[in-house]
Amino acid sequence: MKQEETIDKGVSRRAALKLLGAQIGLAAAGCSKPSEEIVPYVRMPERLVPGMPLRFATTLPLSGFGRGVMCTSVEGRPIKIEGNPLHPASLGATDVFAEAAVLSLYDPDRSQVVRHAGEISTWEAFAAELSAVIGNSATRGVDGLRLLTGPITSPTLLRQIGSLRNRYPKFVWHVHDPLENGAARDGAVLAFERPLLSVPQFRASDIIVSFDADPLGPGVSQIANARGLSARRRVRKSSPTSARLYVIEASPSLTGANADHRLALPPDRIAALVVGLGRQLGADLPDPHLAEAEATLLEAIHRDLAPHAGRGIVLVGPTQPAEIHAIAHWINGQIRAPVDLFEPPGNGVPPGTLSDLVRDLEAGKAESVVIIDCNPAHEAPPALGFASALRRSKFRVHVGSYADETAAICDWHIPQSHALESWSDLRAFDGTASLVQPLIAPLYATHSSHELLAILDQRGEKSDYEIVRDSWRGNAGSQDFEAWWRRALHDGVIAGSAPAKVTPSPKVPSITTLPASTRPSLVLRPDPSIFDGAFANNAWLQELPKPLTKEVWGNTVALSTADAERLGVAEGEVLRLTVDGQFIEVPARIDSRQASGVFSTTLGYGRKAAGRIGDGLGVNAYALRSAPRARRGEANWAMAPLTVSKTGERRFVPSTQHQFTLDGEPQEVFRSYTLPEFLGLRSPSDEPRLESFFPVSEGGEPRWGMVIDTSLCIGCNACVVACQVENNSPVVGPEEIALGRGMHWLRVDSYELGRDSGDRIGFQPVPCMHCEAAPCEPVCPVEASVHDSEGLNVQVYNRCIGTRFCQANCPYKVRRFNYFGYADGQEYAGLGGEVMRLHNNPDVTVRARGVMEKCTFCVQRISRARRNAEKVHRGIADGEVVTACQASCPTSAISFGDLSEPQAAVSALRKEPHHYELLGHLNTKPRTTYLAQIRNPGETTKAKP
Amino acid sequence: MAQLFRPGADSIARCVLIAIAVAPLVYLAVTYAVVLSPEVTGQNITITQPVPFSHEHHVGGLGLDCRFCHTGVESSAVAGLPATETCMTCHSQIWTQAEMLAPVRASFEHGVPLRWERIDRLPDYVYFDHSIHVAKGVGCTTCHGAVNEMPLMRQSAPLTMAWCLDCHRDPAPSLRPNEAIFSTSWTPPADQRDRGKTLLSENGIDVAHLADCSVCHR
Repeated sequence: MKQEETIDKGVSRRAALKLLGAQIGLAAAGCSKPSEEIVPYVRMPERLVPGMPLRFATTLPLSGFGRGVMCTSVEGRPIKIEGNPLHPASLGATDVFAEAAVLSLYDPDRSQVVRHAGEISTWEAFAAELSAVIGNSATRGVDGLRLLTGPITSPTLLRQIGSLRNRYPKFVWHVHDPLENGAARDGAVLAFERPLLSVPQFRASDIIVSFDADPLGPGVSQIANARGLSARRRVRKSSPTSARLYVIEASPSLTGANADHRLALPPDRIAALVVGLGRQLGADLPDPHLAEAEATLLEAIHRDLAPHAGRGIVLVGPTQPAEIHAIAHWINGQIRAPVDLFEPPGNGVPPGTLSDLVRDLEAGKAESVVIIDCNPAHEAPPALGFASALRRSKFRVHVGSYADETAAICDWHIPQSHALESWSDLRAFDGTASLVQPLIAPLYATHSSHELLAILDQRGEKSDYEIVRDSWRGNAGSQDFEAWWRRALHDGVIAGSAPAKVTPSPKVPSITTLPASTRPSLVLRPDPSIFDGAFANNAWLQELPKPLTKEVWGNTVALSTADAERLGVAEGEVLRLTVDGQFIEVPARIDSRQASGVFSTTLGYGRKAAGRIGDGLGVNAYALRSAPRARRGEANWAMAPLTVSKTGERRFVPSTQHQFTLDGEPQEVFRSYTLPEFLGLRSPSDEPRLESFFPVSEGGEPRWGMVIDTSLCIGCNACVVACQVENNSPVVGPEEIALGRGMHWLRVDSYELGRDSGDRIGFQPVPCMHCEAAPCEPVCPVEASVHDSEGLNVQVYNRCIGTRFCQANCPYKVRRFNYFGYADGQEYAGLGGEVMRLHNNPDVTVRARGVMEKCTFCVQRISRARRNAEKVHRGIADGEVVTACQASCPTSAISFGDLSEPQAAVSALRKEPHHYELLGHLNTKPRTTYLAQIRNPGETTKAKP
Repeated sequence: MAQLFRPGADSIARCVLIAIAVAPLVYLAVTYAVVLSPEVTGQNITITQPVPFSHEHHVGGLGLDCRFCHTGVESSAVAGLPATETCMTCHSQIWTQAEMLAPVRASFEHGVPLRWERIDRLPDYVYFDHSIHVAKGVGCTTCHGAVNEMPLMRQSAPLTMAWCLDCHRDPAPSLRPNEAIFSTSWTPPADQRDRGKTLLSENGIDVAHLADCSVCHR
């Protein structure tokens, strides 16, 4: 209406005629092809062939530790991350954070300029002021210079910090890690008298007992743990064995979801169970007074561990105090558990903590503070008073990728380069070092932390490339350094850099009292999608349905059904949680797997200065962290006492839980057997099938097919993000996804099987089934949904007119419709920026508004493999086509190949007795099929009453 | 009562009836002709380039091989245009002062790339790959025409989907032996159909697959 009014008043007849003329002219011009330029290089870079992707090994950081990756670069643009098989923290697979790293690189909200007091400044101005400040400090012995970083394993950063310490004897380095597991470190000190790191070897274990630990959850060793466990859970006709996983946990985790036996208990009772297990193995510990269910489970665990000496592992999580960790170390010693122990990476002097820094700031002893790559203003416990203490310093610098909450309370902010833009090095969770090499020159005037430490050190400005090379010059040995360097870069891992394992004998700590019962208590977890909050502005991760709750774009507090009844709380009701006078108000989610008396929520939300994507989403659970306590480390994971009250409000966090429910009996859709039941299964018969109502297109060869092993899928979601990155799938935003309009081509359905079928949750990744008798095809009025000669059910975007008949007729609910131009003109928040286009895969169409789309079996990868093979006149070998989901999978649950090839891995899997088709009774002859979940609860009596 | 219609009315009515039947056909025919006209397909239209590069001189006259400049044609989806450096291999020695080559020298000196206008353009949703065509016996001039006779480059094929499909459905008439791929003088021999059939099996070309949507669109 408004527009019409302005046109009526403002446009004269003459102008209207002009506009009309222009319109006709433009319309005519629009008929001809727009011109396009070809801009060749002036000098061709070495080894680059336009149109051919290049792959480089590099390392991505998570909590300071590295995960080796292979990054695909197209014409200088990094577009896809995959795993590096040689790297121990990747083993060829990825996690959600590695997959989503590309989006963070191109994030338009990244900090782009140096800022001083909120105004744009320059690196030179900063360097000049820094020299002046250090100059002042130097004359007074530099007792006021402090460095605060996140956790660091980088050998070069540690070397640089060591060098600073030599230069300024009173300089202190502090570390702030919001996800620190301080109790584990203190527990190692109690058991071994030094803070050893321990790495469980799941590959070599039969019985795994986790006391609130989450080795399969998000974290630096998730991929390695998952791969290790999968090696022991790959149930086949030829190897019908499976490891057994016991989990005792306070709130549902991925590890608990994959457990054969699971018991939900509050943290203090979990401690009691560890003490009980220690007593059973002969330790001198107080009687934990176990309840019946606890005692039954403990008995089963003890009975299982005893005959598996050398093949059982006990793990303890961060909610437990140091003494309990120490007892677990002792237990592992008793049962000769396959756990590797080694010295943590460091540079001789352990760093100070954040509370040390706050104390010094308040005492006026820290005049200048340089903060690199951490966000204590958001993450530190409020009781610590970090922000007000920091304001007492005279010179504050923040170096980070975003002008975040901490940058807001610093004088200077220096934009930090992304890991894909700079040189560095990192150590993996097991201590193996690898190099970080840039895939692209910095997009903005950013700097790496190495460059900043170099000017702090006042040894002249140096590039990060030179600084990193200097660290490794001594390592080449008798070899030529250049050859050594090229080998290390090529492999993405530095051979022989893992620290030596140590084998100390653990002691039992002397404890007289058990942790007191404190209920209700609050348990915190890292968020499965945005981790500690550092990924809050990554839209791929925000829109990723969380593995167990399927929530997106926010967090909730989980409480048990019993607690909900007791308090009269309904789903979505906003609860006020109070700990030590600090409170947050967060919507409730009722979870039957939650321990009674325990409330849990995830960290990382409630960001105020994350960027356009992450701001204002969810609630900041860090606000409830209590100040550091002895024997618990800096970061508290379980808080008590907790006060819960109702606010009367209701708020819902979007969830995709019931958006794509399949029409079938859950027991049929997700099949689950115990190991003895598996042994009794007969191989799938070759009986002729009924006629199909739909036309059948068998197709020629190769007959592409996929088999997904649901025993192996741990629900980590890496495949979902991998698919989104590979296939240019857009983000739709919280409002649209709440309407069921999410665009993920691959979803992971989860099934709670109920008590009768054990405690394990079923995870079922569901891509397009590529049915041979495809229900989507006959209903398409324009033949946009058709079969190709290799049996792929393809969607022709240019034919599609958007009737959505195919979506309605798809029994598997795998078709996704572009209700808006999610990828093409109507992007969510800042996602439509010019720089964001760089992440697109050039081999896949960016779909426009009004068309249907779905999983293509990565047809672009099939095509590339076919062309490569045909160019040299050979067939496509088994394993040559690897779909994006398959490549990402830490447990190798997804297999893909040619079903017409009897030797192919998929053909063999189709002959397994537990092979089945999803909704097989519909007779759609799907090309994607499943292996049923095989549980191994053993002969034990029921762990639960 | 006077006649309502004049004597010519019948003829007019007949004409109108015929026109009703014919007009849609004419409309379709005109539309079809327009869509396939060079004005729309761009066929045979010469575009002004920053440097008036002559394939007639370089290929026809000097006998340069296609791959000297289009280096990616055997390995990549795109054949590629030469880097300025490639031009300067010769032009730092000969015609060093030619006015025509001033943009090339400027590009090399200042490191600013030359900006060529694209001639053979396919829509973004077509994933064409040069290397597989070259490997399977499709020669350069089959699609790009007799470039050795073009002083200025022009698009010599209509590049419509129908034109692509003509060959994808029946490649035999267009296939050449390996040694003739980059030849500008190759013409189909009299027994091309038989030779094409032999090449189909020798090169392992699966014709059934070639007209799948997923071959070019994804």
